[in-house]
Amino acid sequence: MIRQTFLKEIKELLRDGRPRIALIIVGLLLLVAVWISARQYENTNAQYEIAKQTERGIWDGQSDKNPHSAAHFGTYAFKPKYPLSLLDQGVDKYAGVSIFLEAHNRNEAQFSAATDQTGLARFGDLTPDFILLFLVPLLIVLLGFNTFTKEGELGTLALLRSSTVPTWKLVLGKWMALFIPVLIISLILFGLAGAILSSLKDYGVFEWSSLFMMLLVYLLYYVIFINLVMVISFLSKRSGISLVTSLSIWILTCLAVPKIASTVAEQKYPYPTRQVFEAEVLQDKKSGLDGHNPWSKEAKLLEQKVLAEYKVDSLHQLPFNFDAYRMQKGEEHEAEVYFKHYKFLKEQYNNQSLVYQNLAVISPFLPTRFLSMAIAHTDYGTHWDFSDAAEKYRVATQKFLNDDFAKNSSYGDWSYRADASKWATLPPFEYQPSKLKAVLSQNATHFLILGIWTVLSFGVLFVTAKRI
Amino acid sequence: MLKHNFIHELKTLTRNRWMLFLGIIILVFFSFATFNGHQKVEKRALDINAAKQEVKDADQEMLMLIDSVERGMEVSAPYWTIPTSPMAVGNYHPRVAAMDPEPWAFIATGQSDLFTHYVKPTVAGDDHTLNYTEMTSPIQLLFGSFDISFVIIYLLPLIIVAFSYNILSSERENGSLRLLASNSISLQKWVIQKLAFRFLFVALVSILVLGGIFLIKGFDLFSNFGEFLSLVLVMLGYVLFWFVLAFIINISSGSSAKNAIVLLGLWVGLVLLVPSILNQLGNSIYPMPSRTLMINDMRQIKVDVSQKQDEILDNYLRDHPEYAINDTTENRSFYHRYMASQMLVKKELEPAVSEFEDQLKRQQQWLNQFKWLSPAILVQESMNHIAGTSTSDYESYRKQVSEFADIWRNHFMPLLYNNQKFSEADYKDLPSFQYKSKKTSVKANLLLLFVISLILGLTFGISHVIKGKKASMAMN
Repeated sequence: MIRQTFLKEIKELLRDGRPRIALIIVGLLLLVAVWISARQYENTNAQYEIAKQTERGIWDGQSDKNPHSAAHFGTYAFKPKYPLSLLDQGVDKYAGVSIFLEAHNRNEAQFSAATDQTGLARFGDLTPDFILLFLVPLLIVLLGFNTFTKEGELGTLALLRSSTVPTWKLVLGKWMALFIPVLIISLILFGLAGAILSSLKDYGVFEWSSLFMMLLVYLLYYVIFINLVMVISFLSKRSGISLVTSLSIWILTCLAVPKIASTVAEQKYPYPTRQVFEAEVLQDKKSGLDGHNPWSKEAKLLEQKVLAEYKVDSLHQLPFNFDAYRMQKGEEHEAEVYFKHYKFLKEQYNNQSLVYQNLAVISPFLPTRFLSMAIAHTDYGTHWDFSDAAEKYRVATQKFLNDDFAKNSSYGDWSYRADASKWATLPPFEYQPSKLKAVLSQNATHFLILGIWTVLSFGVLFVTAKRI
Repeated sequence: MLKHNFIHELKTLTRNRWMLFLGIIILVFFSFATFNGHQKVEKRALDINAAKQEVKDADQEMLMLIDSVERGMEVSAPYWTIPTSPMAVGNYHPRVAAMDPEPWAFIATGQSDLFTHYVKPTVAGDDHTLNYTEMTSPIQLLFGSFDISFVIIYLLPLIIVAFSYNILSSERENGSLRLLASNSISLQKWVIQKLAFRFLFVALVSILVLGGIFLIKGFDLFSNFGEFLSLVLVMLGYVLFWFVLAFIINISSGSSAKNAIVLLGLWVGLVLLVPSILNQLGNSIYPMPSRTLMINDMRQIKVDVSQKQDEILDNYLRDHPEYAINDTTENRSFYHRYMASQMLVKKELEPAVSEFEDQLKRQQQWLNQFKWLSPAILVQESMNHIAGTSTSDYESYRKQVSEFADIWRNHFMPLLYNNQKFSEADYKDLPSFQYKSKKTSVKANLLLLFVISLILGLTFGISHVIKGKKASMAMN
């Protein structure tokens, strides 16, 4: 009976022109979106490779110079795109792609794509995640709003009631009729993405397990929507009312709640403006050691401490260049200042994340959104991770340079020049995003909420559909 | 009959509480959006004021320091920050170049969440790569904000759809269509009257609610009446467009559910798909150059320049003989070489940097040809213009800042190359920045908005009449 109901429903869906057209449109849009994303992905990563190599070449090609000059000359860390960004672009468009690594300063990632786009871009992009997150649920609404109401309108409800078929079989048949088309679309899309990604060589490490996990997240999301739409269809007297109600749920879940959430998060836990942030950092920097300023109180204190430690009475007698030593200590102080201020930012970000998590109770869109981005490594967390790794590398680079300066020159010798071969011995910047397992455990709460949504929506469907 | 219909409509709508419900929804949406917008703009203004105050305070300290130095006293600041050096003033005491919010900034967030609203260009800084992005969580940018523009563009059409998808079909489904058809009034006229009533209702409630909220919020409506009028007209044009669509769908009607699906499909197409497809096309036709590759270029130029700093300085001084005459000490320090190189870097990078702005302009021009494809685009653009948060507003701001950065730098160059000291008397001559808002007229968009509705209505009306004639001819 399940199979029969399923076949009948599918036949009806295919007979009616509108769902068919809707299915075809969504399918076509998905293909176009994947094609565009794949091209973009290849482009961006090709540019990334060029930029990375050229920048390293520029760094390695420096002539003889003082290591601290090289530190000021600095280098760049570039952020690559990860394979699954093909399916979910996440916040990539809004996050910077390059970080300038120099002495004394931790710089923010610069040049997000969104700042180089027209206002139209704020409507959203034609990317697979847009279709997966917004349009497929809408498709579910269109396919399923009248799944029960039509029985009443066509007068078949009485027939159903009088039959001996258990209700759950009927409901399951109808449920399958909604789920199978969505499943097929998803399988085709994810299969296609997998095929494209595994055929591209050289670009990042693509893992089928991540792709599979992402598929699972979206399927749960769709299951929740199917359950909700069926419950509404069951409770509504007419198809029109059922449609409008389902739509309101869709608008609330996908459009309104995310915006409300971001508004609340921003108002409760605001970031400082860039200028205020920089001013505060500067203030804290001033209160400590400045490597360039040998006359400050902190510098004098350091001097005394080092002299006492090495039991000598002049800086010239130290076995290393005290200027460079002071530079390094200043660098460490500055790194601490940045650490403190970025820690505050991170706290704000964590608090904002909690707001999103709390509001996920009223919108399954939110956990899906966050999980999908996290698995694709296009979420804000990955961006943080990357910028922390770049900062770690920056601090290590400064030590590398200052140590060379301290070891190979004597106090007061600012004319010291490191050999041109020195620069190439700096280890390159490497960044690997966290593995799937770590990502999942970091986002366990989102998974839990999505799971609760799934179970609860099944429960409600089961309870309501009992009273056919 | 018209009056009769209106009264009947009013009665049925009030009786089933639809009207009250929709009225409340509109009120809640607009209030929440206005509240959010206001908070944002207030924060923006406060931030700017705080920054300006900070500069004022720092200036006082600077003047005191100059005074001490001029009187030959010992000062504790590091020597390179002592403001008798013009470069110290130019670098450590920059002015605030702020983009003050327009009075209507709160109606549309536009691009304002992406960009910072004040920068402080310094003499030695790379002003061509000044960072204008704001420190926001990218999640916020991804989700966008709940502002009045969102309510009007996305939600109002859906309210209209919910309000009018079943005008004719519900009569059919209730079995009252035959009754209606037996009346003396034509069906079209009857639907038009019903929709006109709903249009008036939605329009009136929206205007009253908006005006009311603005007044309560203590907003000076009357001195900004022109913009308020534009805002209301834009909204009315958009609402009208959706009612025209609702009319067409109702007349060519199927069942209520089918009407709702078609209207919803139109909403998805016009509000979600057309803008993103156009944006994608604009990007593909006029692709942005790569910022990462631009960084490579900038680095290479800097390397080249730094290797020939002395030569560059010589050339610079040859081009500016006045400095050689005025300065007898001929003292050349780090900054003399650095600034000459910096100016050269800027000149060499200019084409690469302006390529971004130019390409953005080309995209915008291309999009302008197609924006009539979706009224949502027209409304978004108009509201951003009224709010002063559109792409072109920020572009204009960046341009003004860039000009100011030049003024600021050039102000110090004679002092630097003449090896003059910065004195207390020079303080009052320091240039300051005043943002000139770019007023973009929305009249063209408004006209387009109404013309679209008109053409749509007329085309449908004419084709319907022709069809009707054909049908009656066939009957004969």
